[in-house]
Amino acid sequence: MIEKMMKTQLFAWVDRRTGAEAIIKSQLTEYPAPKNLNYMWNFGSLALLMLVLQIVTGIFLVMYYKPSAEATFGGFTVAFDSVERIMRDVNFGWLIRYMHAVGASMFFLVVYLHMGRGFYYGSFKEPRELLWIIGVVILLIMQGAAFFGYLLPWGQMSFWGATVITNLFGAIPVLGEYVTQILVGGFAIGDPTLNRFFSLHYLFPLLLVAIVGGHVHALHVVHSNNPEGIDLHKPEQMIPFHPYYTIKDAFGVAFFLTIYAYIVFFNPQFAGYFIEVDNYVPANNLSTPAHIAPVWYLTPWYTILRSFESKLIGVLAMGGSLAILFLLPFLCRSAVRSARYRPVYRIMVIMFFVDVIVLGYCGHSAPTPTLKIVGQLSTAYYFLFFAALPFLPKFEKTKPVPEGI
Amino acid sequence: MTDQANQSRRNFLYVAAGGLGAVAAGATVVPFIGSMLPAADTLAASKTEFNVSTVEAGQLVTIQWQGKPVFVLNRTAELLKQVDGHDDILKDAESKAIDEVQAEWMDTPEKRKFRSIKPEYLIVVASCTHLGCIPLFKPTPGRKDWGNSVPEDWYGGWHCPCHGSLYDLSARVAKGSPAPTNLHVMKYEYKSDTTVVIG
Amino acid sequence: MKTTNTLMAILAIAVMGFSTSAMASGGGAALKHAEIDVTNQEQLRRGLTVFVDVCMGCHSAKYMTYRGLMAYPELALTREEVDDLRGDKSLMSGMISDMSPEDATESYGKSPPDLSLIVPGRRGGADYIYSLMVGFEHDPDGKIPDGNYNPFYPGGRIAMPDPLSWLDHDAADTAELEQQAHDVSAFLAFIGDPHQNERRAIGCWVVGFLVLLTLVLWRLKVEVWKDVKH
Repeated sequence: MIEKMMKTQLFAWVDRRTGAEAIIKSQLTEYPAPKNLNYMWNFGSLALLMLVLQIVTGIFLVMYYKPSAEATFGGFTVAFDSVERIMRDVNFGWLIRYMHAVGASMFFLVVYLHMGRGFYYGSFKEPRELLWIIGVVILLIMQGAAFFGYLLPWGQMSFWGATVITNLFGAIPVLGEYVTQILVGGFAIGDPTLNRFFSLHYLFPLLLVAIVGGHVHALHVVHSNNPEGIDLHKPEQMIPFHPYYTIKDAFGVAFFLTIYAYIVFFNPQFAGYFIEVDNYVPANNLSTPAHIAPVWYLTPWYTILRSFESKLIGVLAMGGSLAILFLLPFLCRSAVRSARYRPVYRIMVIMFFVDVIVLGYCGHSAPTPTLKIVGQLSTAYYFLFFAALPFLPKFEKTKPVPEGI
Repeated sequence: MTDQANQSRRNFLYVAAGGLGAVAAGATVVPFIGSMLPAADTLAASKTEFNVSTVEAGQLVTIQWQGKPVFVLNRTAELLKQVDGHDDILKDAESKAIDEVQAEWMDTPEKRKFRSIKPEYLIVVASCTHLGCIPLFKPTPGRKDWGNSVPEDWYGGWHCPCHGSLYDLSARVAKGSPAPTNLHVMKYEYKSDTTVVIG
Repeated sequence: MKTTNTLMAILAIAVMGFSTSAMASGGGAALKHAEIDVTNQEQLRRGLTVFVDVCMGCHSAKYMTYRGLMAYPELALTREEVDDLRGDKSLMSGMISDMSPEDATESYGKSPPDLSLIVPGRRGGADYIYSLMVGFEHDPDGKIPDGNYNPFYPGGRIAMPDPLSWLDHDAADTAELEQQAHDVSAFLAFIGDPHQNERRAIGCWVVGFLVLLTLVLWRLKVEVWKDVKH
């Protein structure tokens, strides 16, 4: 179809003015991709899909959402009322809102799997260091956007989640109090906070679009890694992105959308993981819910925070656990990329995945002495994993890497 | 299997996938555009009740209906007389361009002239049919009270300040006005002797 | 391929672990099961009656408008029935109790929560509501006065007085009171998300369609990838 389209006169007219043909050829129809990519390579396109879906659903929600913490009858607020109006009175409002709320969780799920792929197959290693670093920036902006967005319904979880996270910044010596006030716009979460979070929740996705553009550009300069983790140069090892990967990605998208639609239509709260029970209760600044925890995609970092007695060290550790992702390409010094040929790294990285899941579980559960110790051990392993990477080549005996595929 | 059979299967799958994809894209548009239509509560608020006896003789009040301004004018016998005698300069003196909703009661020349269920109470949408400004009420005939804004043989009615459209006291538009049609008469009915339900 | 499978397995286990742990959360005594069917018009209307006669003495449901009682096909009341219920309140008004939150606070010590979102907003949902309705008991320790002890309420001491007069009720009335509790739980479950039946109905079509699309794209992928020699 693309070939046909490129033969039309209209296309020729556009091409003379934009160089569209050269772009399509170099980036799509003749863009070389390794022919041995497995389904773990589908998550990039899925993440892009989720970004688009979140932006589109968000734009339509904003047409009815009102960012105001002004009280209304029955202990509710204008913001909470407007969300319920979307759920009840706006045509298909329930669908768009559930798509957005479930979409946030699915976006993180896809991005975490995408990152896990990078960890396992060494996609962050030379020459893709910058590609990885841009990816980490995307993750941080996503987490920010999710955090800002979670305040908007002005439920109990919105309110107390925002209270806890903004107070984290209070731990910063000297400046902490001011940083908190700049975030909150007052002395506690209130109407000014809601308005600025709304503004930022609209801004951050636009930043994401720009940075995702950079991420894709960087990818198209250094090209995809592959499960073997070896450099591919021979033409017979490559296939054009279109139609092979466009169709494979389309299949992945349809498969993913089936699961997504199932959750949206049949289980949008996902047992309180995607939309928490307490967020159906309007925010009350005089009563904290019995058990508060961030949404699941932020819980691993929350456990790291909770693992330290000192608030300052906890905050630093949490910041460090994210910041250390930037350093991953430089900490990992092995010449071999893929975990397939690195027996020790392979065990370490699988343990790392399990570790992050355990951290997430601990962060989501009510704190108990056992879980606290489990959380502390998991936090220790999280950092140990990164700390051990530079020394790994000294004793890891890698398997011979294949010449080709 | 031959290559040809393979090729035709492949073509079929391409067409099937493309067709289903197009259906999916089309179906996705429905809820999004649908969400921009008036919401259920907005639709339900689309009727307004009004007690016309609160409008004194000769008085014009502007009320709201569906967020739009609506004129309710209590025409005295004198004002009703001013409606006559200038049919030749009106674009649609007999109110031929009427919607189905009024057709059931706007059935006599009398009703078409007064454009109201009860002659004394004229109820029309107060938006100039040109570009939606609210016309100014200038009921007395001649230029005495209104200066040059109205023609010398002014028969009383409305003058739109935006682009000079003129309407008579039955809100019928004069020839030469940029407005294409008379002010709209919306659907309304008398629930009791004095209470109208608009919408 | 083996490694991918391992990864997938780990993730699958993780996701399952997550969802089971959610079930376990929530406190108090083990909840009783509410027999509700949010597509059953009879039950929802009976629940509405209980809601109006009993709950609305103190509680409101501000997001459930009188207009909605007519508009939602699951309830589909007539204009006359709604006019009887609403009195002089507007059709656009939510179902607001005649007792003001201030008066309620004075009488019971706290303001009764709005019930529009009580089912999605409580762990256990409809089961929790049902259990509360039929959970009033005498405090075995004798500390909490009768009518305020309910083992299903976190902490056991509930400010809401026994709404169905369950405590010390006549044994002959048990079935009827239980039915009222089921019905009102169903009604509250419905108004917590009034588009839920429509959502599930549309969902069947959407998911079915996507399964078909996935299958076609899968065959197409297999077909096109035959070109690639491994």
